[in-house]
Amino acid sequence: MNHNEWLEQAEIYALGALDEEERARFEAHLAAGCSVCENRLRETGEALSLLPKSLEPLPPPPSVKARLLAQIGSRAAARTARVRQRTQWLPWGIGAGALVAASLLFMVGWNIIATRQEIQSLEGRVAQLRKDLAQREETVRLLFDPEVRLVQLSGLEPSPGAQARLFWNPVSRTGVLFTTGLPSIPSEKAYELWAIAGKEPLPAGVFTVEAGGRALFRLPPLPEGVSFDKFAVTVEPAGGVPKPTGPMVLLGTL
Amino acid sequence: MGLGADDPSDLIKRIAQGDRESFGRFYDLYAPLVFTLATRVLRSRTEAEDLLQDVFLQAWRQAGSYEKGRGSPEAWLITITRSRAIDKLRSVRRRDKGIVPSDDPAYSETAGRVESGEKESEAKVMVGSALARLPDAQARVLELAYFDGMSQSEIAARLGEPLGTVKTRMRDGLERLRGFLGAKRVSGVS
Repeated sequence: MNHNEWLEQAEIYALGALDEEERARFEAHLAAGCSVCENRLRETGEALSLLPKSLEPLPPPPSVKARLLAQIGSRAAARTARVRQRTQWLPWGIGAGALVAASLLFMVGWNIIATRQEIQSLEGRVAQLRKDLAQREETVRLLFDPEVRLVQLSGLEPSPGAQARLFWNPVSRTGVLFTTGLPSIPSEKAYELWAIAGKEPLPAGVFTVEAGGRALFRLPPLPEGVSFDKFAVTVEPAGGVPKPTGPMVLLGTL
Repeated sequence: MGLGADDPSDLIKRIAQGDRESFGRFYDLYAPLVFTLATRVLRSRTEAEDLLQDVFLQAWRQAGSYEKGRGSPEAWLITITRSRAIDKLRSVRRRDKGIVPSDDPAYSETAGRVESGEKESEAKVMVGSALARLPDAQARVLELAYFDGMSQSEIAARLGEPLGTVKTRMRDGLERLRGFLGAKRVSGVS
């Protein structure tokens, strides 16, 4: 392919309209470090921002801002509660691949029933629970996705017995991390996951662990256009930090 | 823009340091745009509210990794919003194919609206906008890709046009959009 064709692909990629195979090929081209295509992507991205501005603006309900401000104020507490909910059904120790997916599916089903009973008694929490369910179903779907890669993370010096598995989808830029054997840490600290491209670590979310050092943590979508080759976990202040500062406890290579 | 208006890049810098007040101002500046885009893609106000919250939470967490050189804060937020909204849309479509059975009425309702694709969305395209200044055929392919998350082959199949024609319309449309942006910069703030 000559380079002009890559530039044309870059535009359609920015629009999100490349078909799967072409998208993978273009992402490989980007990952190889093509600054000309990166520039074109940026320019096209700026031009595309005219499209949402072509819409008649809708004012968002004020309740969302209030919820957000409350959420970022008590992030650590909320996160602990969420992780606790999710880890109740942690299937650690079962084999990889289909078995994990099948047992997760079963447990999600079981969880839907349990959750429904809660909805009946707690009207006010319906919205939050529905979101949790959708996230769990998304987790199952992620495990079914043929693009998913398995990354094994091993415990380093401070906790050599710890280990983790990350199911990483390089196409949808999300994943799920299962840990075991991580030491419990004080409440003002949390574990932070890092996605590393070369020597550049990007924050991939903060989580806490249950008894047995176990956690099931769903990664936030990570930025596109970066090809990660390693994943690591460090101990950081509870709210998370933009660059790693604490000791590294887990490390794995894709 | 009046004197003392917030520079969005400065706001992001302060957000990365954990400044909640700057985060509030950043939200006020961009929440309507994010919410409008999310409503158009998802065709559901409830889903759009959830997404609005998720997008700004992500902005709060990832403000530290924002790089000015890779685009404006606005383009950064729009990219996050659109990619999350389209992911959500696609996961609903996949679910409809029966990979994971679901009887959640909220989702099947959304899926029905998304699949029909023809019903009017809550957020309407404004007359006189950049999109309205494009020839219809170009505007249509850009809309289907950008707001409805369709790939070029899906669009070709939907419109009954050859793939090559769809690609050409997309590229021509994008070139015009880039032209509008350039013109706007040259003429300064209106």
